[in-house]
Amino acid sequence: MSAAVKERSPEEYKAQEQRLRAVWANPTGWRYWTSVNNYQIGLWYGSAAFAFMLFAGVLALLMRLQLAVPDNDFLSADLFNQAFTLHGTVMMFLFAVPIFEAVAIFLLPPMLGAREMPFPRLGAFSFWSFLLGGIFVCGSIFFNAAPSAGWFMYPPLATDKEFSGIGADIWLLGLSFIEVASIAAAVELIVGIMKCRAPGMRINLMPLFAWYLLIVAGMILFAFPPLIAGDLLFEMERMFDWPFFDAARGGDPLLWQHLFWIFGHPEVYIIFLPAIALMAMIVPTFSQRPIVGYSWIVLAAVGTGFLSFGLWVHHMFATGLPQISLAFFSAASEAVAIPTGVQIFVFIATMLAGRVIFSTPMLFGTGGLAIFVIGGLTGVMVALAPFDWQAHDTYFVVAHLHYVLIGGMLFPVVAGLYYYYPLIDAKKLSDGLGRLAFWLMFCGFNIAFFPMHLNGLRGMPRRVFTYPAEIGWNWLNLISTAGAFIFAAGVLVVVFDVLRPKHRQPRGEFNPWNAGTLEWISEPEENWGVRSIPIVRSRYPLWDQKDLARKVNEGRYYLPDAEEGWREGLVTTVLDAEPVQVLRVGGTSHVTIVSALSLGGAFIALTFHWWIATALAAIICFCAVIYWLWTGTGEIPEKPEKDVGLGLSLPLYASGSDSVGWWAMFITMVGDGTAFASLVFGYFFYWTIHANFTAGIAGPDAVWSLVAASLFAAAWGLMVAARTVNRRGATATMRGLLVLSLLTTVAASATGLAAPLSPGMDPTRHVYPAIVWILVIWVLAHAALGTVMQAYCLARSLAGRLTPKHDLDLGNVVLYWHFLLIAAVTTFAIIGLFPAAM
Amino acid sequence: MGRYFSLSAASLLLASGSAGAQTSTQSALESAGAEAQQIEMLFWVMLSGGTVIWLGVVGLLLHSALVNRRRLAEKSASSIILWGGVVFPSVTLCALLAYALWLMPGLRPFAQASPAALRIEVTGRQFWWEVVYHPPLGPPVASANEIRLPVGERVELTLKSADVIHSFWIPPLGGKMDMIPGRTNRLSIMATKAGLFRGPCAEYCGTSHALMALSAVAMAPEAFRSWLAAQAIPAEGAGASGGALFLRHGCGSCHVVAGTDARGLIGPDLSHIGSRATVAAGILPNTEDAVASFIARSDLIKPGSRMPAFDMLPPDDIRAIAAWLRGLR
Amino acid sequence: MWLVPKQIETLWTLFTAPVVWAAHFLVCYIGAAIYCAKPELVGLSFSAVRAGIAAATVIALSLIALSAWLAWRQWGLGTDDPPHDDPTRRDRTLFQGFATLLLSGLSFIAVIFTAMPALFLTECIR
Repeated sequence: MSAAVKERSPEEYKAQEQRLRAVWANPTGWRYWTSVNNYQIGLWYGSAAFAFMLFAGVLALLMRLQLAVPDNDFLSADLFNQAFTLHGTVMMFLFAVPIFEAVAIFLLPPMLGAREMPFPRLGAFSFWSFLLGGIFVCGSIFFNAAPSAGWFMYPPLATDKEFSGIGADIWLLGLSFIEVASIAAAVELIVGIMKCRAPGMRINLMPLFAWYLLIVAGMILFAFPPLIAGDLLFEMERMFDWPFFDAARGGDPLLWQHLFWIFGHPEVYIIFLPAIALMAMIVPTFSQRPIVGYSWIVLAAVGTGFLSFGLWVHHMFATGLPQISLAFFSAASEAVAIPTGVQIFVFIATMLAGRVIFSTPMLFGTGGLAIFVIGGLTGVMVALAPFDWQAHDTYFVVAHLHYVLIGGMLFPVVAGLYYYYPLIDAKKLSDGLGRLAFWLMFCGFNIAFFPMHLNGLRGMPRRVFTYPAEIGWNWLNLISTAGAFIFAAGVLVVVFDVLRPKHRQPRGEFNPWNAGTLEWISEPEENWGVRSIPIVRSRYPLWDQKDLARKVNEGRYYLPDAEEGWREGLVTTVLDAEPVQVLRVGGTSHVTIVSALSLGGAFIALTFHWWIATALAAIICFCAVIYWLWTGTGEIPEKPEKDVGLGLSLPLYASGSDSVGWWAMFITMVGDGTAFASLVFGYFFYWTIHANFTAGIAGPDAVWSLVAASLFAAAWGLMVAARTVNRRGATATMRGLLVLSLLTTVAASATGLAAPLSPGMDPTRHVYPAIVWILVIWVLAHAALGTVMQAYCLARSLAGRLTPKHDLDLGNVVLYWHFLLIAAVTTFAIIGLFPAAM
Repeated sequence: MGRYFSLSAASLLLASGSAGAQTSTQSALESAGAEAQQIEMLFWVMLSGGTVIWLGVVGLLLHSALVNRRRLAEKSASSIILWGGVVFPSVTLCALLAYALWLMPGLRPFAQASPAALRIEVTGRQFWWEVVYHPPLGPPVASANEIRLPVGERVELTLKSADVIHSFWIPPLGGKMDMIPGRTNRLSIMATKAGLFRGPCAEYCGTSHALMALSAVAMAPEAFRSWLAAQAIPAEGAGASGGALFLRHGCGSCHVVAGTDARGLIGPDLSHIGSRATVAAGILPNTEDAVASFIARSDLIKPGSRMPAFDMLPPDDIRAIAAWLRGLR
Repeated sequence: MWLVPKQIETLWTLFTAPVVWAAHFLVCYIGAAIYCAKPELVGLSFSAVRAGIAAATVIALSLIALSAWLAWRQWGLGTDDPPHDDPTRRDRTLFQGFATLLLSGLSFIAVIFTAMPALFLTECIR
């Protein structure tokens, strides 16, 4: 390989370095905030998530004060209820999930030897959405308008306006917005891990962190959409009185519980797996040997990912479902303990096979595991339906979930913070403060939460703002409160250690822990990730590939230069990471902020039913996104190929399934399809619970439905044809087909609308017309988006940005149409034919 | 730091607690019912097993991190993963799962319940419980915020909700079952010991969720049957003088008192309130002071409740009504 | 050996066994849920549901066994021990085979767990 490397003169080397630095440089002044670089976004994302965590922690301390003594009046009932709702919501949605998106965005590119995530602007968009949504939700408590129905927002308490105010809308709209951001992050992670690894990093050499994140991102893709579908039903009920959860009109509160927990249980593992992933990086470093049981970790991650989707009903053991149903979920909930056990034993085995340096990160890691194992064991207990009948919704469960999340997530995160801090600041955090923080947190945690197990079994339900003195919970509650403050003191020590000025501390050494993975090559002072993109030949390249760091930093590998002034990375194959393309990613831009803020504005305005503001913000967002796509994606390069170094020349453009854009569309549409499947599940759910599903209401006309389905199929066929003829060079025919397909789509939508409209189905009357309407609206909204895409392709073609060879846009739009076809045919077949068939 | 410190009468009451009354228990670890006993047994089994496993795992973790200096061969380390991470948990969990599944049909046996058994319908409301007894013979008997049941006999509960989701749970007798609008859930319980138990609402149901509890009295079957017979007819005190005030101030538009013109269906049935262990859904002792303070300031004692505060009434009237209610035994 | 699929070069084979578990789980859960909600629609006794679960379990276990066998073959019939960390296509394939084999094992256990309720519960009971 080195044969092809030309020796460069020092001047040439300097010039290369300067060009590269200039291309990756952050803007200065206020424009700094328009940066999209993964280091900045990761850091901002992480800091914001941490700040939200501290805020939710303060809410927890207020709750503990209220519960310190019986019959307390420190907080009013209503404020307490807002506090615990917000505490759970913020910790789950604004801390636990985002902190890992943050860590992943920060760490993955250097760890994989990549320069950037594949869609840096999407990452920035995700961050700004998250920040705005988070501030909106958290801020509500200062106006006494926070949601107060508990973080799982069970209807009818949360849907019926008689019982809950604007807080419920704030929860729904604020979080829907953040859920969208999570899915955006998942798209970015999956594509980044599968397609953007350093050359030679085959899947058997991938850092375990990347394996975990790949699985987690996949889980997000299937877990969040059911919640988004649930949110849609929920908000339709609150805003327009569609009775999805109103029993009086055929709705059922349990549908929400299903949709929420299909999201909610995988969510626990979405939080836990990345934390364990940090451990999987830390343990080998401090055992000074490769991990033992690499394949076992992959087994554990994939196994947990799958099994975690078979657990949701264990949150519903007391809802009166048939015992046989409960039993299936008990069984799966027991089974998921096996891969979890495997992960712990992998660490034990690695430590036994190495020689352990017991550093501060290890202290947090092992302490966290000791706590987590208790949470796991109580998890095995509450997974059994009979025991859960007693423990459900008591402080036993409160203790259990905090043991799992704090032991399995917070402690490893702090371990990760102490471990990776040198990558942020080139300096270590203080060992002494770290140990102090650990002991305060460890002792405080156990003092606070262990007694809760006992209180729960002694009958203390969760979410009570007060309790009478005579039941016998007084002492244990007082101890818990004291422990909570000790724990908080420990967290404060960590915060102090991070924030204290470190100017006088000398710059730390390179790779201070002598770790083996690539991220330790990157230097906090540089923004380019890696000076040149290395060839990887080991799971621990810094241990096994002598001189790797030096050669990377001397620019002796791929892409050491940025001659054309683009931010560039490599696209490699999924299995063996062979380089196949040079990917030019988006640089600094304000369009991400504008689109995130306008989208946020639309959601916020919707909360207050400011329709005009909503429409305005939505239009701004639409224009911003179109501008973003038009100027930042699918660029036709000035030359077909470029020399990336080491004698290799790679294409600059790819379309279809070779391109990362196609993968992003595919992944997004898988998530979208999951949301659609959740709505279809809703349709059949209502069918199972009612003896007479249609309640005597005339359903959609079968003929209209079938015509609509056929027209959608025709529009899809025209799109496929358009792509084919375009590749053959028949540009004019392609344009004609696009126009024809657009018109067919409009006709299909009109016919689809007529199906429920012609029998006069009123969605507020009963759940049957409501669920039919929601399915139809889903398809029609997607069809509308489809026509925008068709028009976009037409415009691109007319502007010369879409050619027979450069047909990325058209390829992605056709992919979208595959999914649209499935949704349309499924919807119209079900609503038109199923009621008659039954 | 009394929550009711603004209300001297009430805080006095709370200080005195339920002195004089029987003490009630709310603990799942003091089981007095068939289901609770089995689950408690299951818990102790799991707790002992779990303790041993935790000590083993954490011991191994500390040993490998702090003590071990031997550098185990990769092959033996892998077999630790196989045995410790897969084989042992699979076998243990399989056994535990079988134990729990074997328990399940017996804990809540509906199929075997004879149609002649007593059925009690309990409906959750923000923030109290409506109770109707359906004895095998005789007419239904209405009550509120307290259930009584015969020791040693299976009782079937029909659980409903009139507004939001609540959950019915009497820890010493057995596990919980949700009350969901639009659905009717069934629960089968059997008290094995006589006693007074307290059951909180176990599903968060709004502002005063914490202030929604139920008294459960398990009594000897004969005593239960005569008690139920007495409940079916108006209380002796119904004709006493306070009743007129009760009706004049409009209380009857929300409450039922059998034998009077009070026929409202919005609030709890008060026909025999004097004989109940507690008032205001398990949160106040059944004393004249407590009843009076609740009438005056229900908004403070139970925020979010639908009962308006009646502190605009003359204190003497309130006291007379309270005394009359206490007499409805 | 035309019955046995050729070795294919893709990441997705890794997920075969867990997907079988998921399908089996859904069949059991949805089948039982529909039976318990609308027994008149199915018109069979609960024993038929249990028999159905048994049949689904046998099918699922066979598919997982097949996936395990294919994985074992991909793993070089067990001739090579982990860690499979050489930068070669061969080691990458061995790694895939071994990980797939492990996942087949886990899925096998999980399917058995899922089927256990049918042994103990003889009616819907709610």
